[in-house]
Amino acid sequence: MKKTFFYSAIIFVLIFTFSFNAYSDDFTNAMMKAKKNLTAALNTYDEKDLLKVRGEFERILQLKMNEWVVNYYMAYIDYNIATSGMKDQDNEKIKKYTQSGFAVIDKSIEQKDDFADSYVLKMCLTFNRWMYEQDKMDDIMAVTQQTDAAALKLDAMNPRYYLMKGISALYMPEAFGGGADASLKLLEKAYDIFQTRKEAEEYYPDWGYSMSFGFMATAFMKRDKEGDMEKAKTFIDKGLEKFPDSGMLKEVLKQYEEKTKKN
Amino acid sequence: MLKIILLLIFIISIPVFTYSQNTDTSKVTIISGKVKDDKGKPVNGANVVIQGTIDGATTDEKGNFEFETDKSGKKVLIITALDQADKFFEIEIVPGQNQSLNISLSKEVKTDEIVVTASTFTSGANSQVTLTPMEIVRIPGADADLYRAITTFPGSYQIDEGSRITVRGGDPNEVLTILDQASLYNPFVFDGAYNSSSFSTVNPWGLKGINFSSGGFSAKFGNVLSAVLDLQSYDIPRANGMFALLGLANASLAGSFTNTENTFGGTFSLSKLFVKPFLELNGDKTDFSAIPNSNGFGGTAAYKIGKSSLIKYYLNYSDDKVGVRNTSPSFSGYFETKSQSLFSNIKFSTTPTSVSLLNISLSYSSYFAGIKYGVLNNNSKNFYGKLRTDFSLPLSTVIDFSTGVEYEYNAYFLDGSFPKYFYNLKPEADAFRLNMDNNTGRIGGYAEARFKVSRDFNAIGGLRSDYFTISKKTIVDPRLSLVYRLTEYSYLKAATGIYHQNPGLENFLQSGMVDLLPENAKHYILGYEYNREGDYIFRVESYYKDYSNLVSANQYGNFIANEGKGYAKGVDVFLKVRLKPKFNGWISYAYTDSKRKNLLTGGKYLSATYDITHTVSVVANYNITNLFMVGASYKISTGRPYTPVTGAIYDAGQNAYIPISAETNSGRFPTYQRVDINSQYIFTAFNKFVILILALNNLFNQDNLYGYTYNFDYTQKIKVRSSNERTLYLGIGLQL
Repeated sequence: MKKTFFYSAIIFVLIFTFSFNAYSDDFTNAMMKAKKNLTAALNTYDEKDLLKVRGEFERILQLKMNEWVVNYYMAYIDYNIATSGMKDQDNEKIKKYTQSGFAVIDKSIEQKDDFADSYVLKMCLTFNRWMYEQDKMDDIMAVTQQTDAAALKLDAMNPRYYLMKGISALYMPEAFGGGADASLKLLEKAYDIFQTRKEAEEYYPDWGYSMSFGFMATAFMKRDKEGDMEKAKTFIDKGLEKFPDSGMLKEVLKQYEEKTKKN
Repeated sequence: MLKIILLLIFIISIPVFTYSQNTDTSKVTIISGKVKDDKGKPVNGANVVIQGTIDGATTDEKGNFEFETDKSGKKVLIITALDQADKFFEIEIVPGQNQSLNISLSKEVKTDEIVVTASTFTSGANSQVTLTPMEIVRIPGADADLYRAITTFPGSYQIDEGSRITVRGGDPNEVLTILDQASLYNPFVFDGAYNSSSFSTVNPWGLKGINFSSGGFSAKFGNVLSAVLDLQSYDIPRANGMFALLGLANASLAGSFTNTENTFGGTFSLSKLFVKPFLELNGDKTDFSAIPNSNGFGGTAAYKIGKSSLIKYYLNYSDDKVGVRNTSPSFSGYFETKSQSLFSNIKFSTTPTSVSLLNISLSYSSYFAGIKYGVLNNNSKNFYGKLRTDFSLPLSTVIDFSTGVEYEYNAYFLDGSFPKYFYNLKPEADAFRLNMDNNTGRIGGYAEARFKVSRDFNAIGGLRSDYFTISKKTIVDPRLSLVYRLTEYSYLKAATGIYHQNPGLENFLQSGMVDLLPENAKHYILGYEYNREGDYIFRVESYYKDYSNLVSANQYGNFIANEGKGYAKGVDVFLKVRLKPKFNGWISYAYTDSKRKNLLTGGKYLSATYDITHTVSVVANYNITNLFMVGASYKISTGRPYTPVTGAIYDAGQNAYIPISAETNSGRFPTYQRVDINSQYIFTAFNKFVILILALNNLFNQDNLYGYTYNFDYTQKIKVRSSNERTLYLGIGLQL
């Protein structure tokens, strides 16, 4: 009897594990496919493509697995659509997608409150608020400080934390502690960490490496009046070698060429 | 046995195995269609998905979608899109039979953001807020004072250009401030001082929510006739920091702190007023026996208990002292006042269930005030205690319910000498001494429900009852507010209700009576509002307030009764434009007709003390850059009523004249007007934020009146100019 029960239990566990893995594989496959499409959409930075891949992630929510990470990606896409509105100073678009991003990232944090990248993303979304509600400066500063502290506490070696802080410093006036040199210190740290960083799961967010090349190059170009063009070019070349499809790096190359002509 | 177990395993495993078998893999079905909004416009980026699967698609710019599925049978299709309400509907999928669907979505309505109550000005997180804290502190002439900021809205009026306000033709004591459920009776310094404007002790930066209602307010609020300023302080601050301000007339230090887990935190503030440099710079020649001086400190400490409870303590202390020369017909000397105010409140908040909220608070406050002028020399003490509980929960998707009970205690002590003859204030004049005390309690309760009748129509109905222990009277007040959404941003609002307020304890003391009835007002309000997320606001509102049982005294103050009646009616108009990121400004206009019939008016309806017929206020703020801001404000209003003296009879025994007054409030001050400007410049020094503040109040040095006095025999009327002459203020703020 004991033996029978033992074999039965083994069979049951095997069956359950097999079917759970099948279910889990569906999730992982769907996530990996969506993640790949996201990288392609980010290279074009086209709202249409970003919306399409946002829908892809939203549909993965139906699998009811690791919803926090799916919500994270949806918020990340909202953030990117919002920032795409900055080019045309489309404040309505920035506001609409930033607010949507907040709603989704808050949900993600509620589902998993110890994931450092979620706080980095929330901090980025908070930067966007400057574009449409400077009158709530005190609240913006408070949320920025809070998310900054949480992100750093949870993962002091998160490259995206330093990358986003570096980008923010790059566009902040020197009088307020920003500027190219201040930015480079943070971007360099992000760049160094990216080289050895491996995420816990393959479907976890790993964006930012290509951006670190692009923003390092931009920061070098912004250094002084003339810019440190040689170093900028080195980073553009290295970046394009590693990420040949990166739309951002191609855009930085264009800027480099224009500036070189002017110089 | 083995067979049975294997059979069981097989049965248990069926649903797991069949997870991916509920399909007919031989045939796929194409589901396509178009998604439109309620106006027939295509929805871009809508997500269409079969529930429980990842089969679906995202719509393109034309609203079109198409996807393949190998599922069959009855399935639920889910459609979601930003700003649109989610849609669920059932479809029958027959393998191989393609389907084309036309789907229309309706706009998502955030009903919680509809402000149902009329006459409300808000500040906080709601997208319909009228003012942000930043806007409050930037209003020129408001001196970063919450109450003064409120007077730029229609319907509220500054008493003596200070922070104490009167609303819609009522008396100042008809306005109640609530902070975290507790009643805040004396949030001012220099209140009652001669020709000195009062200042509020409430720090606007410490507030997460400000809700000012100038009528038709909720049944939650008891013992108040005209208006409620409902404030909520921050719980646990989200950041650490300190800020110091040094100005020509004041210095302050404020800060906030929190632990890394954000489970414990607090705020503090210290302030001191020293106006000597300010007066000297502005060439002020006022004769002071004590230069205006005040001190204040306060703060909060909050602790999060578990995930759903919080306990918070709030403390505020302030004192002030001033002595300024006053010349009255019978005496010229220093009018000296001083006060001490303490407010403390402990509040516990918890969510007994995921959707309900329970708040319990216990507050204690005291207010000591002293006045000395000639023979008049007295001290009064007020003590207040309050225990309050509020509970709210949604009963269904269309009904939100809230209820609460409160007990409030007030003790009043008066000690000092008073002139025997009101017209003789000389120090050696005949006086009588009073040393009295009295106390009262009030037990109140309310129940209120918000009915979300439809996406466009909401109603709040409430009932409250209060029992006053001193008079042993019980009152019942029904209240109702309605809102109807006309378009996405415009609303029609109406409110009505009965409001009661117990007369102040000094009235019971002076009259020796115990059965003075609570004063009564009925509110009727009808208004229209257009509010586009706080950026464009237009509001026009008419109101009628019917007063009865008002306490009034005869000319000599020795007979007090509930003889007063009255009304206040008018129209408030408010227009605000916020053009981000550069400009914001607003214009307020109020028409008021407020009359009273009481022991002093001889049975006639005469102007109430604050019957200010027309009031216009214009505020404009402009950001020259993100770091350099300028602002200007202009106020003009009909002069307020006063009772002129038409003659006097000599009293040889007192060697003083007895004034003979004209009809009550039959005179009016000249038109009041004033222009204020200010600017702020932000920069960094030593890696810290620094803000420079420059303000010029009463730019054109307008000769506004504080009042009239008379010579010894009342043959000459003498103007007393307001102390708010043109003044320059400089301040520097530093982030530490």
